[in-house]
Amino acid sequence: MADLTVELFGKTLKNPVMNASGTMGYGVEMEPLWDIKNMGAYVTKGLSLKPHHGNPPPRIWEERHGMINSIGLHNIGIDAFFNNFMPFFEKKELPVIINFFGFSEEEYIECARQIKPHRLIVCLEANLSCPNIKAGGISFGKEPENVYRLVKKIKSVTEIPVIAKLTPEVKNISDIAMAAYDAGADGLTLINTIPGIYVDIDNKNIPIKGGLSGPFLKPIALKAIKECSERVPIPIIGVGGIMDWKDAVAFFMAGARAVQVGTATFVDPFTIPKIIENIGEFINSKGYSSIKDIIGVVNT
Amino acid sequence: MRDFEGEVIKNEHITKDFFIIEFRLQKPIYAIEPGQFVMVKIPDERVFLRRPFSIYDCNKNSLSIMYRIKGEGTHYLSKTPKGIKTQILGPLGKGFNINFEDHLKPVIIAGGIGIAGVHLLIKKIKKTPDIFYGCSDEKEVKLIEDLKAKHVYIATMDGSFGFKGDVISLFERHLKHYQSSICIYACGPEAMFKSLKEKIKPEIKCEVLLEERMACGMGLCFGCVKKTLDEKEPYKRVCKEGPVFDIWQISL
Repeated sequence: MADLTVELFGKTLKNPVMNASGTMGYGVEMEPLWDIKNMGAYVTKGLSLKPHHGNPPPRIWEERHGMINSIGLHNIGIDAFFNNFMPFFEKKELPVIINFFGFSEEEYIECARQIKPHRLIVCLEANLSCPNIKAGGISFGKEPENVYRLVKKIKSVTEIPVIAKLTPEVKNISDIAMAAYDAGADGLTLINTIPGIYVDIDNKNIPIKGGLSGPFLKPIALKAIKECSERVPIPIIGVGGIMDWKDAVAFFMAGARAVQVGTATFVDPFTIPKIIENIGEFINSKGYSSIKDIIGVVNT
Repeated sequence: MRDFEGEVIKNEHITKDFFIIEFRLQKPIYAIEPGQFVMVKIPDERVFLRRPFSIYDCNKNSLSIMYRIKGEGTHYLSKTPKGIKTQILGPLGKGFNINFEDHLKPVIIAGGIGIAGVHLLIKKIKKTPDIFYGCSDEKEVKLIEDLKAKHVYIATMDGSFGFKGDVISLFERHLKHYQSSICIYACGPEAMFKSLKEKIKPEIKCEVLLEERMACGMGLCFGCVKKTLDEKEPYKRVCKEGPVFDIWQISL
């Protein structure tokens, strides 16, 4: 049996596969199909200090081989999440990564402060792609100095490890990764969706502006992972365009310690359990003993 | 809910751009509530996400869908020949509540392809319903051919069959006879729901089946929401909290 366990911030995950934030509801929705305790960890939908209603429809649009989403960070808020859903993960003994965001530095910080350490919480995943309302809506994650300042402040208010989820829509993502690392980030999640629009040629309008996801993100994510892992000595969780186990293996080889699967789950809700099974088979068939044997092994 | 493998055993053109596709399921499907839907993997590489369709009809080992060619997904679905196998996730969502009080008369209102959403309800409802069906012309009347034995009031926009005008105007003519002793089930375009809501008294029970673009169909992505009057959490998932909603609780 292949050893799929990975260490992440002092916790041992039974395998390195998890869902991408916002692609598995509050966790309970998958119950009728398969047991999510088979994942390495569950990543929450982006949570905020107060509930957010999100955007009016349409929130999604299909693009060739992918989709654009504009959910607008719809969520029930951290308090309701802990009250309503944490017992579900406790019953499963499933490690949880808390994805969170704010529309101001204060919101991020207050949100991080209010999340108390819990035996199942692996880390906080700060979504740095959020628009900073006070700074005219520019995303926090675009400039190294903003990332540095925000991550430093978040780190100062929590004992829980903090990872920064970065947008690829920047001049040089490894500069951003470096800033997060210098500020004390314990890890990185690479990458978030890429902003895009849909043009409806019949109605001559733009029905949706949002984050692009799907298999075409894979090469962009792999490049980001490779470049950042060469400069920054903290664990990287890879995400973006993973559709099957081969994609996942590429992410590990490029330097990811764990991977997240998002949009593929919508196409096939069993994508995650299939990937877990198949990477085990791959490791066995290639004569490796552990998933750790393939992390970052790609030659340059 | 489960992800069924289904083999196309029929993909029949009905009229204009309307089709019925039937799948033989590899495993039996149980406990379907009328109004529930499935997410179908369109067997063409050019279509990425699955597409949601109301369950038109269903037996233990087969399931059919009535659809209209609207975009690329339904276009390629219409090209799917017999023998092709694909994945069908379902049954999904919350269907119609058919446990209404004994003294109420069920009234079913469908607009155009909306008939696909209430067809199974018409088949399964215990008390004989009055059916109002509206469409653009007499060609579309073919969509309710199998309901001939039932009591159906028909409206066409061009007047080529039955009442000339929209289905709600036709329904309105009968409304005074019913008074408040009916419960309504409706499926059709949003404008139809809006007009219906204006015509009926708030004490009348009325459930509507909504349509929205979906990615997952099972509550994972929050992509298919509809605005409701719930101030605390206005946007409800059509795939999970719906697709059937109480007309008095949604914002139209």
